[in-house]
Amino acid sequence: MSLKPRQVDFNATWGAIKETIRGVITLDHVPRTVWNDRFSDVYSLCVAHPEPLADRLYAETKQYLIDHVAQLLERVQEDGEQNLVKNYFLYWTQYSVGSQYLHSLYLYLNQQHIKTQKMSDAEIIYGSIDPNVATQGDQMEIGELALQVWQSNMITPLGHRLVKLLLEAIDLDRAGQPPKIPIEAVRGTILSFVEVQAYRKKAQLQLYVELFEMTFLNASGEHFKRDAALLLQERNVSLYMEKVKGKIEEELFRARRYLHSSSLPKVAHRCELHMVAEHLQFLYSECNNMVKYEKKNDLSNMYDLLKSVPNALVVLVDTVFDHIKNQGLSAIHNLQGESIHINFVENLLTVYKKYKSLIQEVFKSDQNFMGALDKACNSVINHRANDGRAPCRSPELLAKYCDTLLKKSSKGISESEVDEKLLESIIIFKYIDDKDIFQKFYSRSLAKRLIHQQTQSMDAEEAMINRLKQACGYEFTSKLHRMFTDMSVSADLNNKFQEFLSKDKIELGINFGIYVLQAGAWPLGQAIVTPFALPQQLEKSVQMFESFYHNKFNGRKLTWLHHLCQAELKLGYLKKPYVVTVQTFQMAILLLFEKSDTLSCKEIRETLQLNSEQFKRHAVSLVDSKLLLADTEEIDEVETNLRLNLDYSNKRTKFRITAAIQKETPHEVEQTMNSVEEDRKMYLQAAIVRIMKSRKVLKHNLLIQEVYAQSKVSFAPSVQLIKKCIESLIDKQYIERTPHSSEEYSYVA
Amino acid sequence: MADENDNERMDDNQKSDKMFTLKKWNAVAMWSWDVECDTCAICRVQVMDACLRCQAESKKDSYGKQDCVVVWGECNHSFHYCCMSLWVKQNNRCPLCQQEWSIQRMGK
Repeated sequence: MSLKPRQVDFNATWGAIKETIRGVITLDHVPRTVWNDRFSDVYSLCVAHPEPLADRLYAETKQYLIDHVAQLLERVQEDGEQNLVKNYFLYWTQYSVGSQYLHSLYLYLNQQHIKTQKMSDAEIIYGSIDPNVATQGDQMEIGELALQVWQSNMITPLGHRLVKLLLEAIDLDRAGQPPKIPIEAVRGTILSFVEVQAYRKKAQLQLYVELFEMTFLNASGEHFKRDAALLLQERNVSLYMEKVKGKIEEELFRARRYLHSSSLPKVAHRCELHMVAEHLQFLYSECNNMVKYEKKNDLSNMYDLLKSVPNALVVLVDTVFDHIKNQGLSAIHNLQGESIHINFVENLLTVYKKYKSLIQEVFKSDQNFMGALDKACNSVINHRANDGRAPCRSPELLAKYCDTLLKKSSKGISESEVDEKLLESIIIFKYIDDKDIFQKFYSRSLAKRLIHQQTQSMDAEEAMINRLKQACGYEFTSKLHRMFTDMSVSADLNNKFQEFLSKDKIELGINFGIYVLQAGAWPLGQAIVTPFALPQQLEKSVQMFESFYHNKFNGRKLTWLHHLCQAELKLGYLKKPYVVTVQTFQMAILLLFEKSDTLSCKEIRETLQLNSEQFKRHAVSLVDSKLLLADTEEIDEVETNLRLNLDYSNKRTKFRITAAIQKETPHEVEQTMNSVEEDRKMYLQAAIVRIMKSRKVLKHNLLIQEVYAQSKVSFAPSVQLIKKCIESLIDKQYIERTPHSSEEYSYVA
Repeated sequence: MADENDNERMDDNQKSDKMFTLKKWNAVAMWSWDVECDTCAICRVQVMDACLRCQAESKKDSYGKQDCVVVWGECNHSFHYCCMSLWVKQNNRCPLCQQEWSIQRMGK
């Protein structure tokens, strides 16, 4: 066959084509040769001489399809309403496959004649042209044409009747009754609304949505409302939620079975709207009890239902927050006894862990609930009793808890358990607002542990400090690190001093060890150095060490902190020899009794030059321990006579008189709080100057905000305190009020 | 601390008849720079602490160890060594008394 254009008799050729089309579109048998001939007929018409007959072919084909569909329309309706869907599906299946074959038969026409007229994909997708309008005027590819003809000549007249039947079928399914129309036909019919527009580049689902989905959703909505009303009659939230969850599952399953996948979220949304969102008050009514009694199953259902309704979780989140907060507060309420700090931290941790795991399990670690947990812990841990007037003791108690764990005395717990507990205490630590107060207490207790050699394990100490550093940064722990450095430097120093002594063959007469601390790094306070006349037994040691030290270092001076020194004293005047560990001042008092068995307090004080407070504290502790006996009930620093107890006995031969050293006195707590206050002022002033230096001019409120943000890492400053600091900086002429506004400050360079 | 055994022996032989025997003394002392003024007049930081520059740099040093020492001039005024060595590049006089600066001693 020649491919050359030639003159063609349209009518004869079209007659042949038409015959074949009938076979193709009804899926009748079409022999291969006939197919091939018609294929070339289409070609020859398209390239016909003297003028191409493509347009005529197109028009005739379109007319044929219209006629064909009109015939089918009649046949679909032949068997009455009950078979309408079934017949429709039958002919649709045939027609849709047939039209694809037809499309192939017209391949040449499609590709050469129609493609050239068509708009590019981009124009269709991004252009503002309505897909309905765009396809009507222009010629379409034959496959698409066939679908379009079906839509306008089959679905348009029949659509509403079909939809009504389809909805009835689905309702029947909902009611759990056997289907009258095969499921396949229902599904196929519904999907035909999608497929008939599948060729479109844009708005492919338009027909499906407008004709079917909208009606379906509205009808379903009514159904859900009725269902909800029915379920509500039982007035049982827990049961209701179970049922609704089941209902949503069921509807989604149904939607998957019958509908196009794009409808699934819409169905779920409708269901939630009518069964959850419209009955929130009902659900909330049981919210308090469910949270209160921690009904995990109910709460988990509640969460599942509420999470997809916008803003519906807020009430549940707030209830959970209140509950955790109350649990937390009651866990630390009215703690009494020696181990308040242990109960405090461990009770809080129990609450924290319990609700964390609850949230993980029930609320799937939802951020809203995690946030509520954080908020609750934060307000419990920073809770101030008496309407906020009492100071918050958490920083102090937590520091004490850490101290208890790190001290030697913590018996019966393995090192890994201690480590575990310390790790957990960081959880509490992170919630504390006044981290600087914690730091003060912590560094005090660390100093005591180090100086009095009560540290259980240096590894544990270091690990803890590293954790604090991770949580709060370098500045927070730098002083703690310096204490450690002093410890190792001192160990080195002791060795060197012993070398120095043995080289010069010097005997001190006692076993001497020393810690040399760096001033400023240790939280010991300055005022503690009190006058003291050193006992002659110690003089040599002090002298030798000072000369050694000054030889080794340049420009340093040493201050002896006698109140921190400890001595071991062997008592040789009793039935058994005892070794007693005492403080330097106690030792000095005892040593005086070598010369005389009875001494007046006046004599002792004059010899040792102790101030009255120091003297009293230590004399009392010695009398309390019964090493000394007093001749008056109350010890008077002038009148009372002290006598050596020559009948002293103790079950242990080695003991320690601790009373005077290690107790954290109320005075010390107050001192700590005061020094915190001072540090805060300095910190805030520095922050204000930094901010003002970079901003030059800043409004009052903005300045406060920035200062707050900067200091949040270690404490939460009050606005008054910030204001005070601003005032004092104005006095110091670091900043000034700008002339035209009192609400604005500028930096004075 | 180290030669406890020596002392032990000595105690037993010679001093066991004494009423009180001082066996061991764990002393605690604090060192500070022997200065007239606690703050460095150049950086306004306590001389016991590292100077501002060193503090900023030592952030990398996790043990807070510092080598920022003090220097005394002939006039007996003292400053951080780091601060003073920057100062003398501009002006070879003591910032406090305007005497010609010469180092009397260095902290160690």
